[in-house]
Amino acid sequence: MAQIEYPTPLLQLIAQLKRLPGIGARSAERIGVWLLQRGPEFMDPFAATVQQAGSEVAECSVCGFFRTKDLCLICEGSGREDSLLCVVEQPADILPLERSGGYKGHYHTLRGRISPLDNVGPEDLRIGELSKRVREGIFSEVILALSADVEGEATANYLTEILRDAGGASLRVTRLARGIPVGGGLESADELTLCRALEGRSLMQ
Amino acid sequence: MLTSLRLSHFRCFESLRLPLEPGMTLFFGDNAQGKTSILEAACVLLRLQSPRTSSLSELVHFGAPGFAVAGDLGDTELRHHYGPRIRKLLVDGEAQASSGPYLRQSGLVVWMASDDLALVRSSAEGRRRYLDFMAAQLHPGYGTALRAYDRALRSRNVLLKRDAVPRWNEIDAYTRLLAEHGKMLTTLRRSLVERLRPHTAEAQRHISGREDEGLDLAYEAASGPGDDLAATLLARREEEVRRRQTVAGPHRDDLILLVQERPAAKFASEGQQRTVALALKLAQSRLFLTEKERAPVLLIDDVFGELDPGRRNALMAAWPKESQKLITTTHLGWLDAACGSPRRLVVSGGRVA
Ligand SMILES: [Zn+2]
Repeated sequence: MAQIEYPTPLLQLIAQLKRLPGIGARSAERIGVWLLQRGPEFMDPFAATVQQAGSEVAECSVCGFFRTKDLCLICEGSGREDSLLCVVEQPADILPLERSGGYKGHYHTLRGRISPLDNVGPEDLRIGELSKRVREGIFSEVILALSADVEGEATANYLTEILRDAGGASLRVTRLARGIPVGGGLESADELTLCRALEGRSLMQ
Repeated sequence: MLTSLRLSHFRCFESLRLPLEPGMTLFFGDNAQGKTSILEAACVLLRLQSPRTSSLSELVHFGAPGFAVAGDLGDTELRHHYGPRIRKLLVDGEAQASSGPYLRQSGLVVWMASDDLALVRSSAEGRRRYLDFMAAQLHPGYGTALRAYDRALRSRNVLLKRDAVPRWNEIDAYTRLLAEHGKMLTTLRRSLVERLRPHTAEAQRHISGREDEGLDLAYEAASGPGDDLAATLLARREEEVRRRQTVAGPHRDDLILLVQERPAAKFASEGQQRTVALALKLAQSRLFLTEKERAPVLLIDDVFGELDPGRRNALMAAWPKESQKLITTTHLGWLDAACGSPRRLVVSGGRVA
């Protein structure tokens, strides 16, 4: 007797779900079965939403953030500080910076970071586009807001050299301060954090 | 001290609940019955690493998705869950964001094993591991710096091997990281060795029973003049192109062991070398007691069966009295009046009785 399996369309749905980040075989099966049990009332608008996002949202060719059709809210928004550029790894890194209210300049998304161990090199990132923007000479400062791990820091080191070449001596290249978290005491900070907090110390005004 | 230890799907143990007592506990049984795994589990619980392997996935019981170790350290309950995609660390039921805060609330460990003689006789790697394991317990940031250094080193070596013509602008992005983290490692290791020296000298004299048998330590850094690793690597660029690997840095440092002012690996007798191996671990426990004002848990694997009564009694006279000692052994022939009457547990086929 043939072994009973899910019908092919359901198996295909499960296979697609499994490709999503953080979803393993068991979760994919659970979600697939759950979707089908909710029926077309749920699945049709769900599928339409996925399709609409796919066709209406694109990558902004300037900053790498998301835009609808032809308008990028950041690049084409007014009231921005045009001399500041902030470099981030992923589009999702822009929103926390925006919400902080502490930054009003422009952004550049790398779409990843350099990682030889994962076979990702500079040519896989939006670094050429970054040099081109900087070469236009509009920015006076580039802020590197990359993650504070080995790959993020190596990428920041690499970009610093690239940006010096592209922007010349007048371009300021900075990185986010690293150090004691707000509300954190010195006694709980490790040696590396303290060293970096000392390096990044600032003048009392 | 650990008042209990619980294992789930750890090595040969499907499940084990083990109440523990202060002082000495002997785990007695034939080889490959799980004695060492109990000590290893205590180490993985307290320090999140195993002295037997660098890959925790090896500790998972055959066929299980992951393992868990838990235990009570005084009033603190520690739990460490390990699986293919998750690692959960809990202190008193509260999830910890990373290993740092977990380890700060955990206890100190000294691991002694029959292969400690390799510390004296074999390559520098074992001696660096000895220093690293100690430094990570004394300095909260050491483990982080070590992991970052290691990752930067592996990345840099991949880049040196990958391209026919090395791309130095990419490689040097890692050189700066190596120099930064490497400086931290070298500085902390060097200072650690200085603080350890009086303890090792004292331990060697005590175990050998000879006032004139000195043991001295020297830290040999491989980062070049002034520990300026970036400058050293720049100067040795041709060599790096030829050998396709990072030729200097703390991953090549060594801890030099000198008995009566001569290198122990070459010039010390076998007896002296055995004493040195013990002295290094005894000194570690004395240093912990002095600096942290806490007694480490001593995990002693298969050492006592081979030790002559002289060294054994000297060790027992000098180890921190407050320390809990978990000891594995394949026979009890050595047990004499000097040992008192330690608790004995028989380990057989992954069961403890
Ligand atoms: Zn844009």
